Amino acid sequence: MASFIQLLVSGLATGAIYALIAVGFTLLWQASQTINFAQGEFVMLPAFFVLAAMNMGAPFWLAALIGIALSVAILGLLFKLIIVDPILRQGVLPLVISTIALSLFLKESAKDFYSSQAQPFPTLVPAIDVHIFGAVVSTQSLAVLAVAIVTVVALHLLLAKTRLGRSMQATAQNPALAVILGIPVRRMVLLTFLLNAVLVAIASILVSPIYLAKFSNGETLGLAAFLAAIIGGFNQVRGAILGGVILGVLDNLSAAYLSSQYRGAFPLLILIVVILIRPQGLLGRLEERTV
Amino acid sequence: MTRPGAVALAIACAAAVAAPFLLKSFGIYLLSLWAVLAVAAIGLNLTLGYAGQISLAQGAFVGIGAYCVALLVPAGVPYPVAFVSAGLLCFAIGWLLGYPALRVQHHYLAFITLAFTTLVFLVLRNEEWLTNGIYGINAIARPTLLGWSTGRPLQFYFFCLGALAVIALAIRWMLRSPWGRAFVALRENPIRALSLGVDTRRYTLIAFALGASLGGLSGALYAPLVQFIEPSSFGLGLSFNLLLMVIVGGSGFFFGPFVGALIAVLLPEWLRIAEGYYLMAYAAGVMALMAFCPSGVLGLIDRASKAIAARRGFGAPTLGIERPQP
Amino acid sequence: MSALLEVSDLCKSFGGVTAVAGVSFEVREREILGIIGPNGSGKSTLFNCVLGQLRPSAGEVRLEGKTTTGMRPCDLNRLGVSRTFQMLQVFPQLSVRDNLILAGQEHRGSMVTRLFGRSDAGLAEDAERMIEFFRLSHLAGQQAAELSYGQQKLLDVAMGFMAGPRLVLLDEPAGGVNPTMLGELRERLEAYHAERGATFVVIEHQMEFVMALCTRVLVLAEGRLIAEGTPAEIRRNQIVIDAYLGSATPPA
Repeated sequence: MASFIQLLVSGLATGAIYALIAVGFTLLWQASQTINFAQGEFVMLPAFFVLAAMNMGAPFWLAALIGIALSVAILGLLFKLIIVDPILRQGVLPLVISTIALSLFLKESAKDFYSSQAQPFPTLVPAIDVHIFGAVVSTQSLAVLAVAIVTVVALHLLLAKTRLGRSMQATAQNPALAVILGIPVRRMVLLTFLLNAVLVAIASILVSPIYLAKFSNGETLGLAAFLAAIIGGFNQVRGAILGGVILGVLDNLSAAYLSSQYRGAFPLLILIVVILIRPQGLLGRLEERTV
Repeated sequence: MTRPGAVALAIACAAAVAAPFLLKSFGIYLLSLWAVLAVAAIGLNLTLGYAGQISLAQGAFVGIGAYCVALLVPAGVPYPVAFVSAGLLCFAIGWLLGYPALRVQHHYLAFITLAFTTLVFLVLRNEEWLTNGIYGINAIARPTLLGWSTGRPLQFYFFCLGALAVIALAIRWMLRSPWGRAFVALRENPIRALSLGVDTRRYTLIAFALGASLGGLSGALYAPLVQFIEPSSFGLGLSFNLLLMVIVGGSGFFFGPFVGALIAVLLPEWLRIAEGYYLMAYAAGVMALMAFCPSGVLGLIDRASKAIAARRGFGAPTLGIERPQP
Repeated sequence: MSALLEVSDLCKSFGGVTAVAGVSFEVREREILGIIGPNGSGKSTLFNCVLGQLRPSAGEVRLEGKTTTGMRPCDLNRLGVSRTFQMLQVFPQLSVRDNLILAGQEHRGSMVTRLFGRSDAGLAEDAERMIEFFRLSHLAGQQAAELSYGQQKLLDVAMGFMAGPRLVLLDEPAGGVNPTMLGELRERLEAYHAERGATFVVIEHQMEFVMALCTRVLVLAEGRLIAEGTPAEIRRNQIVIDAYLGSATPPA
């Protein structure tokens, strides 16, 4: 029982990280038809920004802020202006291909410009073990959980309770109508990209202590994002959160109780089953065939 | 086909036959790799360029084909049988995978194929009793066909080239049949096609399964070419590479895969000046291509030739086979 | 005259917006039925629900008694139902002849014969006959993209007829066509109707076209059927006039 609680907590922590990545992914898809195959690399990269800043002497908290700022500038602003805008004009397929090329580009950049070796990454809090109900839980997991929960709650408040957030949602659901309502659609879409950049940067800072900062992290993290988004429901932010949490918990539980060799297979099978039986995901809405 | 197009094709064929005699064995190996990957790219072009579906599973099908041959031949199965089996096996798997997957929204096939490729990799890696796991299978022999050995680089190259030619001709024949017309309809205007009785789901499934079987055949050629295979060669990396090949060459153009495969195989060699950064340059190039001419290199040439012809006042010629603006 | 097509209580909503709110009607064999109504009255949505392009939120569609609600368009097409689209939908890079052959090819043989067999046999002749009927002979080998808009419209209609359908649904066939071509189109439709005894349902905005061509007219407004009758009756119907806010009479 104790180990189950341990697994659950660490699973929730991992799940929370997946949720952040998946939410960003879903927001991009909703707001601008962007299926970002480079989302995993987007999570891999900010850690290197932080490490570079630290190498130049900045303390961790400052480096983290710099990392987030660089992420917003590069993975948010530049991504939208230089890649998405020109290419989306050509269609969704060229954009998908471009994000695949982008993932390759970012991966190679990290490998060539920083290092091909896995880099240790500082944890948020010193790793002490805490005893809860007889289970040993690391403060790291709790810290990750805390930060992730705060972020998700803040995101929810932003999207549901502020005028800005509601405008963003309106833009995502019906751009034509949003224009008529006087919502500055282009700005809203840009904000979505910036928001994604913030989310992936936070996820990066949370996940890198565990996985270490490595150029190849993008593959597994990206896959986790897609799985979580689809299982939860491609067109719903709540779905992405649910999907991420489910994925994280399952991931940890299956690693402990199932064969570790096929650990990665379980979420993939769930994905296939979900797409076949309930393609709109657990919380999503079925998309119409269009004329 | 237009006159310039036919001339270009003739030159290319002559080059394909003559070039290996001028190259050392590494050069011949690269050409053979081109031929082998071109087969897989032709298959993916069917799925992507004609049926409009993004498949990230082609790398996995190449892997299945490769392991099929690598396991059957030492067990006593004659190579031609193993070759055909690779194709049939992948067709069947492609059909089984595609049948349910294509009943749902367009973009989901991309994710299902993503998951599939990763699963195949896991199986290849974990089932050591069958595949030897991460240690791979080595000493894969090059076949002797009808008394002719393909052991030496030159011989094996012509074997690959021959296989490529036969497969390409078969696909060309299929595209000229009513199926080809249906594929054009499917790509140009699936809604209209549906209203005319074209079963778009069935045709898409066929394109996907055929594409998969070509991946298998490519794998069946790949195994004896490299003579050592292991699971990590057949993962998402290969799938992405093949996808980029089809796109860069020109998705939906018949000769697109040939051009794309050539670029992808030769690129590391050409960009040796850029050293390790060639992959970044390639990726940046692909993104630029997508911004200016998503229909690839052949699309660029097509556009250019139309512009030249328009300036001369002729009617617009096309480069050969159908594939214009999305 | 029996009912070829029956639509019962068809409803279609998109989220909070109800496009079609319980429409019921029948299409009798050999008639030419017109469906008119102001913009946004749900005509195209109705068509798309009947034709399987959209899934109705409620209601039923029956073709000769057989329920076809939600059937895929290609299956419906093979049951003898054809359509044309509001937005021009020919295949621009195929020739006129190939467009027609494509339109007919899925109705013969099976997938296998289409690959190996000579299922094209007979199609070329049918295509020629259709080309002649629509007076496009001088354009037969040209790429569809090179035709004028009106000619493409004729081709579009011809494609719909290739499979010899019993029921043809035409979605704004007169849209964007100049008056001469319009006359030609109407005349060809009437000729086809007389020759083959097919049943037509036509959505149109151009009143003159509808009134001249159709034997019976339905009027839709805000997703509901508000009137039904002969063209003359509809012209005089006050409810209809009100729905159009006074623009029911065609301009002089």
